[in-house]
Amino acid sequence: MDIRSANAAIGYASTRPATAPKPEVSGQSAGGKVAQAFGSFAQELQQSESVAQAGMTGGADSQSLVQALAQTELAVEAAVTVRDKVVEAYQEILRMPV
Amino acid sequence: MSDLFNILSLSSSAMAAQADRLRHVSENIANADTPGYQRKTAPFEQVVEQGQKTGAVQSGPVELDQTPVRKVFDPGHPMAGEDGYYDSSNVDIMVELADAREAQRSYEANLKMFDQARQMSTSLLELLRR
Repeated sequence: MDIRSANAAIGYASTRPATAPKPEVSGQSAGGKVAQAFGSFAQELQQSESVAQAGMTGGADSQSLVQALAQTELAVEAAVTVRDKVVEAYQEILRMPV
Repeated sequence: MSDLFNILSLSSSAMAAQADRLRHVSENIANADTPGYQRKTAPFEQVVEQGQKTGAVQSGPVELDQTPVRKVFDPGHPMAGEDGYYDSSNVDIMVELADAREAQRSYEANLKMFDQARQMSTSLLELLRR
């Protein structure tokens, strides 16, 4: 059995594609969906912000103000939970014994 | 998740409609002794967006109650006629009170639905956090 540094480099290079993201996952579909989700999240925040402003200046009734704030709270909570999960998974990978 | 968000907006529209209804009731009670005042009502209607019913509710255009106004005997009243009667409003305080109580109960029911939807989505997210 020949163990040489060149072999190790070749072996490493041959396994590298395994860790690269698959193009059909990372390209249009999944990345696009994530971007879309964050876009709708930002839109939600913006909408509730304008409703809150209208509520302060007397343009909107209190029901819609409460609704906008509750909706924003839920959206932020969902985003924070997903972010926590992603960070946790990343840290789990980093802790993997090599 | 979007269903729960829909519940929030539907309950909010219903609460706004009930608040509008209560405003008309308070207008009627305030004008119960105004001569010639006709009771106002605003029947609810479904919200239609782009030809589709969204399930939300809103109070429709104001209608005036056409029941004849009360004749009150008070010869000293400046608006009294020859016979000593003048036209008062057609507001019945008892009807208005019942309407106000109904609006309050309906508002509470919608508030409960709002709170329940919020609690449901919060506990759903709580599941991910553990």
